[in-house]
Amino acid sequence: MTMSDQRAPAREVADSGAAPIVGVRNISKTFGPIAALKNVSLEVSAGEIRGICGENGAGKSTLVKILTGVYRPDSGDVVVDGKAVSVATPRQAQEHGIAIVSQELSLCPDLSVEDNIWLGSMRVPFLHKQQSLRQRAADALTLLGAGHIALDAPVGSLSMGERQLVEIARLLCRDARVLILDEPTATLTDVEIERIFAALLALKREGRSVLYITHRLAEVYTICDRVTVLRNGELIATEPLATLSQTALIELMLGRPASEMYPDEHQILGTPALVVENLSLPNIVERFSMTVHRGEILCIAGQVGSGAAEIVSALAGLVHNASGRVTINQRPLQLGSSARAAKSGIMFVSGDRASEGIFRRLNVLQNLIATRLRDYSLYGLLRIGALRAAAERLAKQVGVDRRRLRSRVEDLSGGNQQKLAFGRNLEKAKHGVLLMNEPTRGIDIGARAEIYRLMRSFCDQGYALVLASSDLEEIVGIGDVVVTLYRGRRVGAYRRNEISMHRIVADITHPTGAAP
Amino acid sequence: MTDATRAVGTKETAGAQPLWSNLLPHSTHARVLFLIRGLAILGLIVAALTTPGFFTAVSLFSLLNTTSFIGCVAVGMTFITLSGNIMSFSLGVTLSTSGIVFIAALPLGLVPAIAIALCFGAAITGLQGVVVGYFRANPIIVSMAALALITGCATLITQGRGVYPEGGAAAILKARVLGIPMPVAALVTTAIVAQLVLSYTRFGRHLYMVGSNWRAALAAGLEPARTVLGAYVAAGICTAVAGILMAARYSSGDMELGIGYDYSAISAVLVGGTAISGGEGSALRSLVGAFIIAVCQVLLLLHGFSTQIQYLAIGIIVLLVIMLQTLADSN
Repeated sequence: MTMSDQRAPAREVADSGAAPIVGVRNISKTFGPIAALKNVSLEVSAGEIRGICGENGAGKSTLVKILTGVYRPDSGDVVVDGKAVSVATPRQAQEHGIAIVSQELSLCPDLSVEDNIWLGSMRVPFLHKQQSLRQRAADALTLLGAGHIALDAPVGSLSMGERQLVEIARLLCRDARVLILDEPTATLTDVEIERIFAALLALKREGRSVLYITHRLAEVYTICDRVTVLRNGELIATEPLATLSQTALIELMLGRPASEMYPDEHQILGTPALVVENLSLPNIVERFSMTVHRGEILCIAGQVGSGAAEIVSALAGLVHNASGRVTINQRPLQLGSSARAAKSGIMFVSGDRASEGIFRRLNVLQNLIATRLRDYSLYGLLRIGALRAAAERLAKQVGVDRRRLRSRVEDLSGGNQQKLAFGRNLEKAKHGVLLMNEPTRGIDIGARAEIYRLMRSFCDQGYALVLASSDLEEIVGIGDVVVTLYRGRRVGAYRRNEISMHRIVADITHPTGAAP
Repeated sequence: MTDATRAVGTKETAGAQPLWSNLLPHSTHARVLFLIRGLAILGLIVAALTTPGFFTAVSLFSLLNTTSFIGCVAVGMTFITLSGNIMSFSLGVTLSTSGIVFIAALPLGLVPAIAIALCFGAAITGLQGVVVGYFRANPIIVSMAALALITGCATLITQGRGVYPEGGAAAILKARVLGIPMPVAALVTTAIVAQLVLSYTRFGRHLYMVGSNWRAALAAGLEPARTVLGAYVAAGICTAVAGILMAARYSSGDMELGIGYDYSAISAVLVGGTAISGGEGSALRSLVGAFIIAVCQVLLLLHGFSTQIQYLAIGIIVLLVIMLQTLADSN
């Protein structure tokens, strides 16, 4: 696997002489003590597709919200056609021709395509000529290469990609000159993504501009002319992609030099506890395979929407349409039932504590022994004394004060709640498999450290651990093996000494040798 | 939750603080709610003391008899409420029909008739449990459909007439055990058994978990659908107990007998303090709730208020209780 720079495809770079149509000048914005944007200036030319890249919290969405009138900058201006203008409300942004294709589309599923295109448009007079509006809507769709979409079809009957094209057509009919797309492809299939790209290129030929915000570096290289990198609220660089290697782009995003190649060697420790072959989840994950050994922590690294969390949920039996061969401790496991998974030794800790972790109305004791009742009962009757002893032992192991056993769980901090979720699995089986989904989401540093310590103690007990995470620090810090995932497909696997943050970032944003 | 186990966790802290501090809720908010509940019960006691004719053998026995029918259904309803499925509108007709089944089966002997009626109640309510548990159907709608279905079938079969027993085999159910009327003895037994099931069996604990958080129970590898089915079966059995007692008392089985009992039962469950959203409460609380409701009814009756006014009063009480619960939850 190489991170190459020869992948940058040939494209026509925006005419450097083209006039800038929209931009920001010396914009700053703070939220309380946090500076979201620091003195950022950028300009987008007519007919340019500009990528905006940066880690979470780099300031991308703040920039978008200032451009679209949701936030007002503390200082600095929004510039349209060389003049500073006021963009105080989304409506003013629309008047200046700045429009956003939102992640959650603002279409009404029960109305027709045509009605959706014109709904709420200020360009429709009270008395209007239906026919000319219809023609304009049809023209907009044709321009976007979406002439096949029937104007009378209800939007609810369209695919996600088609809806996005309708949304873009709607903005075109409002004379949008700059379209902002924020992670537009997260919910789309490859074919649909191709269609959206074709539509964007058509806009470009029309002289309209696009701001394209994405985590997926592959898409930046496919569609954008130049890329602007934000980091911690500062504009780091704006570079033409034709001359910027992917390694260099990752370095700009992370602010650290990318390391060199790592040996791709594999060393197997322990016995395989969990073998997954060709696990598929319709439209989410395709033919995913992995092997987890006893005593090791395997991280499935992937961005939100990559399918990592879904793989873990599927192995826990919580996804009904999963298919694939799963073997646990040499015995086959049929997916689709969480009770069956639990019987074969699978345990699951969710990062979504409120909805699938804790029992809010019950107390600490009851939460700690929630999955252990079978071990402490005789013909369905509970052995109360043994249960209480077990709860006290578990509370001690996970570091929760035994005097809190009677407290209601909702009075505990998120970190302590999560410790209970781990605690209830601690003594369960000798060679269990512990599955975790973003287990430290929303948990402070101190409790995090204790949870990582707990994970290691599971390893010492001979458990195999599988952890789906989008937190790079966590993946690098705790993983013995890291499997990278990009849009539902496995990209690579690295053992402890080969794991590097840069490599993982590259894999989960722009896989080499995998999906485009 | 049992009080015996609760005492252990607070043992260490009890030495440092005055003993009563463990009996009172800790937050101000909770104390206000505690006070409101206390005042309500105090008001009821004062009303009972000042009502002439309340403390007479006749009215007290009538009170206990009323409580026993509502109480059995309320204990049954508690399982459904605890499981997170709010309530069932079909327990009233389940009560009537299991009474009819009991009377119809009496020629086979008392014990077989009781067994058949209990199985019947378990089966028709259990079927709803399958639909609610395995198909995740809305429990309220399912119970309304069941109400219509059961009423329709029963009326078709009985042609709308009551069923009357031949001979006096059911007389024993009108007898007294150690001076206690049979319905009261049956209610106390039902409530205690239900509470033991809730507190000391795996099924009981699972019920609290499923009611508290269905998805978490699923993620933890439990079988929530099965637990919900169990809750409905338990509800059917408790309701059938009430049906048998009532049929024996009136020496007839009639579709009219159970009308309104589902509503009284959910009132008792809520007044007792079981959370309408599930996962919190107990059978004994519902027993207390049924008693409070019955006391209110008897008081109103003694003061000469009509049945309509009694309904109105219960309506107001339930409304107040629900508002209190919401307040307590918003804390």
